[in-house]
Amino acid sequence: MKNLLKSRNTGLVLVLIILLIVARVVTPGMFTVGSMISMLQNNTVYALLAVGEMMVILTGGIDISIASQLAFVGITTTVLSTANPGVPGIVWVLVGILLGAVCGMINGALVGYLHMVPMICTLGTMYIFRGLAFVVSGGQWWFAADYLDSYRFWAITKIAGIPLLVWFTIIIMILAGLFLGYTAPGRRIYAIGTSRESSAVAGVKEPAVTFYAFVICGALSGFSGMMYTANYAIGYYGMAESFEMTAIAICVLGGVSITGGKGRMDGVAIGALIMAVVVYFISMIPGMSVWQKALQGGIIIVAVAINYFTERSAEKQALKERGALI
Amino acid sequence: MPGSNYDRDLTVKEGFNLKKFLVRWEMILVYILVLLNLILIVFRTDLYFQAGTVQSIINSGLDVSPLVLGMVFILLLGDIDVSVAAQMILGGTVTGLVIDPSMGLVPMEAPPSVGVIILAVALGIVSCMICGAFNGICVAYLKMPAVITTISTSMLFRGIVEIILGENSLKNFPSWYGNIGWYNIGGILPLSMLLFLIMGAIFIFILHRTTFGRKVYIVGNNPTCATYSGISVTGVKMQVFILMGFMAGIESIFFIGRMGGGVSSSMGTGYEMTAIACAVLGGVSTNGGKGKMYGPIIATFIMAFLTYTLGLLGVDPNTKKIFTGVILIVTILISTINRQMIKDIKLRLLYHSNKNIEAIHDRTAEAVKEMKAQIKELQKGNASDKAAQIKKLEDKIAAAQKECEEKSAQWWAEQQADAKKAKERFAK
Amino acid sequence: MSDYILELKDVVKTFGGVRALNGVHFQLKKGEIHALMGENGAGKSTFIKVITGVHQPDSGTMLLEGEKITFRNTADSAKVGIAAIYQHVTSFPDLTVTENIFMGQEIKNKFGFYDWKVMRQRAKELIEPLSKEIDVNKPMGTLSVAAQQLVEIAKALSRDARILIMDEPTASLTRNECLQLYRIAKELRDKGVSIIFITHRFEDMYELATRVTVFRDSTYVGTWGVDGITNSDLVKAMVGRELTAMYPEKTAKIGDVVLEVDNISKEGYFKNVSFNVRRGEILALTGLVGAGRTEVCQNIYGIMTPDTGSIRLEGKEVHIKSPIDALKLGIGLLPENRQTQGLVNELPIYQNVSSATMKQFVKAGQLDVDAEMSNAIALCKKIQLKANDITAPPSSLSGGNQQKVVVAKMLSSEQKVLIMDEPTKGIDVGAKYSIYEIMNDLACKGYAIIMVSSEMPEVLGVADRIVVMKSGRVTAEFTDVAGTSQEMILEASLKEKGGEK
Repeated sequence: MKNLLKSRNTGLVLVLIILLIVARVVTPGMFTVGSMISMLQNNTVYALLAVGEMMVILTGGIDISIASQLAFVGITTTVLSTANPGVPGIVWVLVGILLGAVCGMINGALVGYLHMVPMICTLGTMYIFRGLAFVVSGGQWWFAADYLDSYRFWAITKIAGIPLLVWFTIIIMILAGLFLGYTAPGRRIYAIGTSRESSAVAGVKEPAVTFYAFVICGALSGFSGMMYTANYAIGYYGMAESFEMTAIAICVLGGVSITGGKGRMDGVAIGALIMAVVVYFISMIPGMSVWQKALQGGIIIVAVAINYFTERSAEKQALKERGALI
Repeated sequence: MPGSNYDRDLTVKEGFNLKKFLVRWEMILVYILVLLNLILIVFRTDLYFQAGTVQSIINSGLDVSPLVLGMVFILLLGDIDVSVAAQMILGGTVTGLVIDPSMGLVPMEAPPSVGVIILAVALGIVSCMICGAFNGICVAYLKMPAVITTISTSMLFRGIVEIILGENSLKNFPSWYGNIGWYNIGGILPLSMLLFLIMGAIFIFILHRTTFGRKVYIVGNNPTCATYSGISVTGVKMQVFILMGFMAGIESIFFIGRMGGGVSSSMGTGYEMTAIACAVLGGVSTNGGKGKMYGPIIATFIMAFLTYTLGLLGVDPNTKKIFTGVILIVTILISTINRQMIKDIKLRLLYHSNKNIEAIHDRTAEAVKEMKAQIKELQKGNASDKAAQIKKLEDKIAAAQKECEEKSAQWWAEQQADAKKAKERFAK
Repeated sequence: MSDYILELKDVVKTFGGVRALNGVHFQLKKGEIHALMGENGAGKSTFIKVITGVHQPDSGTMLLEGEKITFRNTADSAKVGIAAIYQHVTSFPDLTVTENIFMGQEIKNKFGFYDWKVMRQRAKELIEPLSKEIDVNKPMGTLSVAAQQLVEIAKALSRDARILIMDEPTASLTRNECLQLYRIAKELRDKGVSIIFITHRFEDMYELATRVTVFRDSTYVGTWGVDGITNSDLVKAMVGRELTAMYPEKTAKIGDVVLEVDNISKEGYFKNVSFNVRRGEILALTGLVGAGRTEVCQNIYGIMTPDTGSIRLEGKEVHIKSPIDALKLGIGLLPENRQTQGLVNELPIYQNVSSATMKQFVKAGQLDVDAEMSNAIALCKKIQLKANDITAPPSSLSGGNQQKVVVAKMLSSEQKVLIMDEPTKGIDVGAKYSIYEIMNDLACKGYAIIMVSSEMPEVLGVADRIVVMKSGRVTAEFTDVAGTSQEMILEASLKEKGGEK
């Protein structure tokens, strides 16, 4: 009972270890260095989205348009890069981040400054971005042969045996952890998620904080859009459908309270690892792939329910402590 | 009791007011609907009056109508249900499985009997209601946020269908079953519209004429007050979520018809969105407790004609998503703009956030209005010194306006000076 | 140089047409403790928010050491050394004590990142002289109200505050905690800090303040030296007239016991509470805010259920699991907070009135709106509701009339026991009188009434019997109301745990 969050993280690590042991027993082939790396490589997009989603959920909001943003940005960078083969690949990484940030600005302005309900607002923009993805793509599909090496370079090049995409994700997680834990803008995100009223009194500008939380979320979605296409070398307007659910699942699993204000980067990182193992594990067992959706849905419900019950028991504990004073 | 000067009758004074009625949101929706029809008539005269066009617009557009009716109740509670499309798919799958020969209820090589179909549909609807009840338990009893709950149950329900069907689609429905969604009574009146209007009437009755409807409003506006008034908040929420499931079950009957008599796990994505968009366009607030049943019913028709019009203009179904999204956002924004907001914006932009400047402007405007009315009065009459009096009043108006401008300028200057001083002082 | 460290003149603040402050004045001397008093809704809270820069005044001037000053936000006021401890402690419950203390002025290392280690160390140094029991790493929400206030004080100290505003800090503290607070306040004053101390309690004022300013109905009434003003003058200044003849004469006949509460306990709220109430009797349940009175009522009404003990209605034991059960048995509750618990502001008055008794008006499966309306009109006439139209929303009414709507709601069904939780909170004097009249009227009809109230004059003026609670326990019962004084009640409501029995 020293620190609820910390004990929660140790629990998550235990779950992760158990999962790995089960996976080891059921599918011995899974435990090679190569397959572990490919597991990470194929699931980092979820982790990136989860980092962005976390920012928004911490403010007490939600963004369900991130997968559409990913598709829109991914398609746009694909179209632009194939049309301009001479431009260095790093430009497309930056374009992806910028474009995503613009998407985030739209959400952020609507929610922060025009006070729309985040769920409804991003439901609308989810449709708009997905529609835009179609318009930009013209319904076309892009495959491995269409992508330039300079474009793919930034995702698949291996340093120390690990692809750049994974390195990026690790760096972004560390930066996000520092941002949320040790900088004023990061702590403001927690502040407005904890109590909007107190924030107003403390002089925290709620609309601005909401705005930049959405912009960061958008920038990360945009980045993962570019990376998704570069990593898988596939692009079509319907890609990454319902990835936002997985991102939310990772956040909830990692201990981010859906009502805002609570949750830490390390928890989300472990949550992302657990989700990666689950997804990879399912794909390894023949015939199990159809279970993926139902399992993910189930995991979120169970995770939210567990959060609910731990919060309830903490409240009860507090009441008991108070009761001792009477 | 003392205080005998109490003389209020409290009865409703204002009767029917045509002016107010004509600018109600529902009426505005009617105008939009008429306008859409006129556009179609003018630009596609031949097509519009061709037999079957209007019917097919209605048939295809009323796709989501049962979902809209249920969604209104959910939104009135201040909740949301994005799992309705998944429920509908699950219900359709259950129906399909029951009439599947391999289940043993229906003999091989023979079309299923009506009795079996009714049983199958009933089981489909019941399975949807179980889904709704599951959502209800999570939201009402476990107090989980409706968004997260229904997002994940949507994955769960679809996932269950995926486990059962895999990548395949279920196509064993008798052909007449698949035609329900397109059937026109006597070749003229679309069955789906008739059913929608009947269901709409029932829902209007439930929401506006029964205690249950009243409870939904109370719970949606103020759940705490509902508890104190002896209303079971969890009970009302459960009932509404189960009702939503029931409507998703009804929807599955029409849906299978529109999809050409088949169902698979990936069908019907985005139906929940359209249903929510119709309800919101119809004036239902997503914060709960505000809105009526009439608006969403008209809005459903608007969506039907809009979708068709866009289709005629050559807009691709995927691109239409952009329009749905924009409509959703714009209608919500319109509903949040009210008098107070306009006043605030005016205060900020015109009066530099200075309430004194605002006050003097308001006062001056009122005085000027009064004097102008006096001038009009004078012009009508024929007093001897009419011209002189009018001149006097006009001068007065000019003077008042000038004073207002001067004072405002002076106050604004003062405010700026203050702000500057504050800035200097607090700049470290 | 001015005599005053802070001076406000003619400050006006409106919120959407409602005047929250109407030309108020205030002068604070250096190193004084200045009490600010007034009834609920007198504008005290808005006033503080203007001083701290949360709200900008529409007009009026503020002088700091004789120099005109405007605050754009709370950061500005913090920079010149103004700090406030608000009534509903405005902390961040999920964040740690350390972070709450340093919110807005965090210590950073040379890379621009927060230096948690230094901050924790500083926080410990600040907290230790105030209390040795507060762990700076704990989330704020886990602390008691008193501890949270100490953290707020530490926060103010960390900013080298010259002017400290305390908004009803003693409202929910125990006697010992109050004494500790007095000691700290005096120490601060001796160090040269000027303190604005907002309070309802005369005791606080006499103990601490040298001068007192009174607000009433958003306006300034006056400022006096504490030595030069009597209690009754102050009350007169606060409520606008003298306290005598504020209550109707009691005419009800007291009958048998209707409701009996026997030894009920609820963990974390109250322990071993017993009392009874008779037909035609008005029983006052009093004590300080946070003493557990509201929770006891909520347990009788079924919002919560007691862990142990029993409740008997007319001699029969009843198990009330929800307000639905309570209403069926004939127990009604007028909730403490009419805005959040009593009214649905978006629905018309008549629908509010009938919200607990809709079933009566169902005809052939359909709500008979006409019957519903005429019933509501009859009830509202009976309680003399001042409204123009029964279909208007309650938000268009004044506070007192809003309260009457909630009363009408409770009267729309027959009840045996009516619990009224702070029935006159935040409403004007005239409306208060008519609420008392209604209560008297109901008592005559044989209702047993339990009134929760913190206002002692009201308790003494209305009740037939008084039960006092302190920290979740019943500490005294007074059957002879005429022979009871405010001091006796106050003493009982401040009684320490060890001091009882």
